[in-house]
Amino acid sequence: MNQIPVTVLTGYLGAGKTTLLNRILTEQHGKKYAVVVNEFGEIGIDNDLVVNADEEVFEMNNGCICCTVRGDLIRILGGLMKRQGSFDGILIETTGLADPAPVAQTFFVDEEVRRRTSLDSIVTVVDARHVVQRLGDSHEALEQIAFADVVLLNKTDLVTAEELTQVEKRIRSINATAIIHHTLRCEVDLDAVLGRRAFDLERILAIEPNFLSEDDHQHDDAVKSVCLRTDRPLDGARLTEWLQSLLAKRGQDLLRTKGILSIAGQDKQFVVQAVHMLMEGNFTKSWSPKENRESRLVFIGRNIDESELRRQFDACIA
Amino acid sequence: MSFSAEQRETSLLDRIGTRRMLDAYVVGVAFLEGGVLAAALGDGRVAFVGGASADASRFVSVHDGACLSLAADLGGERVLTGGDDGLLASTDTAGETTAVANVAGRWVEPIAVSVASGLRAAAFGKTVRLFTRDDSAVGTFDHPNTVGGLAFDPKGRRLATAHYGGASLWWTKAGGQQPKRLAWSGSHLSLTWSPDGKYIVTAMQQNELHGWRVADGADMRMSGYPAKVRSMTWLPRGRYLATSGAEPVVCWPFHGKDGPMGKAPLDLGWGFAGVVTVVAAHPRHDVVAAGYEDGATILVQIDRAHPVLVKQPGEGAVTALAWSADGQHLALGTESGFVGRVRLSDWRAPT
Repeated sequence: MNQIPVTVLTGYLGAGKTTLLNRILTEQHGKKYAVVVNEFGEIGIDNDLVVNADEEVFEMNNGCICCTVRGDLIRILGGLMKRQGSFDGILIETTGLADPAPVAQTFFVDEEVRRRTSLDSIVTVVDARHVVQRLGDSHEALEQIAFADVVLLNKTDLVTAEELTQVEKRIRSINATAIIHHTLRCEVDLDAVLGRRAFDLERILAIEPNFLSEDDHQHDDAVKSVCLRTDRPLDGARLTEWLQSLLAKRGQDLLRTKGILSIAGQDKQFVVQAVHMLMEGNFTKSWSPKENRESRLVFIGRNIDESELRRQFDACIA
Repeated sequence: MSFSAEQRETSLLDRIGTRRMLDAYVVGVAFLEGGVLAAALGDGRVAFVGGASADASRFVSVHDGACLSLAADLGGERVLTGGDDGLLASTDTAGETTAVANVAGRWVEPIAVSVASGLRAAAFGKTVRLFTRDDSAVGTFDHPNTVGGLAFDPKGRRLATAHYGGASLWWTKAGGQQPKRLAWSGSHLSLTWSPDGKYIVTAMQQNELHGWRVADGADMRMSGYPAKVRSMTWLPRGRYLATSGAEPVVCWPFHGKDGPMGKAPLDLGWGFAGVVTVVAAHPRHDVVAAGYEDGATILVQIDRAHPVLVKQPGEGAVTALAWSADGQHLALGTESGFVGRVRLSDWRAPT
């Protein structure tokens, strides 16, 4: 059975999520989406593929304090699988005040969800005018940007070009790997939002990261990105051991970890994805002979000591 | 243990069964009076197959979305179905549907019918509603979280519900009551009440079962499953609880004084790669029908080594199994819409 792609839509209240949802539901793009919303009626569309969710965040009984999942989503995704063939993808809207972690973790933790669906990307809609203020007073706004694979920097007509540049730098300093689109009223080619396969890291880490220049650190947000890279192959055993112990100890602070890594003696790329403590690592496609086998590892999180991480990463070089 | 090539080639379905493609995920199957097989489907239809003319089938569009659950309704001539359209419906074999209740925006998933008390229960999200035979609403039970499973006790005087954080016990006749809470941390997804009324067992998110002895609330943990337990069934007189969620059919002994506490389960029916997805116990004998994720279905017997092949692999995971009340007929359904039935009185077990 094919895995159904799932897009998670986050964004602070008023950023424009509902506008985007309405566009996806009404525009002729030849695809049908099942949409999981948290407030019925908010989107004024009568559609039997719109499902009301209750945002039930459950702790998992696995001794990991930060491991929470969305129990309602597990149930809803299971139910939607009974309607196979009647839609092409699933869109999950989260409330403006939601921490995206339990949603993302649901796709790591539940075996049935993992088998039937694939997390395509986390899309965060950001209000260009108010985001700076939000980042000052809202922990959730920061997390939503940190978790994003795609950021829609919306309402760009309400700020000056200079302000927009500053906002973008601020977002970039929090999340170095997200793809950022500037929009008015969420007008963006839907192909830029849906079916991104952004959780398939290869593209993201290949296109991005724009490395941080010194002046990007001036805002000093609680969450930032650290990008590590090396051209020398890594020792697989040491790397795995380091990542496992790092995430076990620091997983609460490390919101997302993504990497494409070159392991000594292996022809294939080792791809790592983690949300807090939950990590998945797989050998995927082979490195091409013409390719520079560069390892790239990105951490997005709080209280990150960049030089410490770099030292530990370098210690994994074979 | 494995099946010989000869056994693999001659499933009961091939030899003495009938089969049908219904073209949508089979959510549940149940036998009605007159040998009619009812199937609830993922596209919202209910299908009635067989009966007087064995080849006839009738499709009724009941839910605007997917059927989520099915049970034979009181009297055995209708089916009760819950859907993701908020509808709880009762449909007869002639295709006439009655809306028992409709709550827009809610999913109606776990449902239960108590023949003993003439009551039907259904969970609409966090609220469980109770209905009499004539569809009068006679009870509303609110929960802090969505109700994943529910079951009546054997007499239909109490109703147990499973949810995040444990289970709740309600009296079906009392209004304005506080439930008795059976607490156990974690998410409880489904629930069953033993036929002797002594035990309640829930299946949990983290691949294990949790049980309570009703009399004193004593806890029982039943763990070690590689997958979620989606299906539980009691053998006659409640001697064993057979479960899905592992490669063998895992059967927990409940005939001792302390239930399964301190005892190992029986593992039956090795022989297929993959996990058991559905189980259904024969109403009279110590026989369990078990369906697998690869579509294979077998019959296993307690104390008997060799399973009997009912259906070969294929047609997607088995999602539904049911026996007729007299135990003469077995029906199965799969995620791809395959439905098969076997008349076991036509079959002699090898001795």
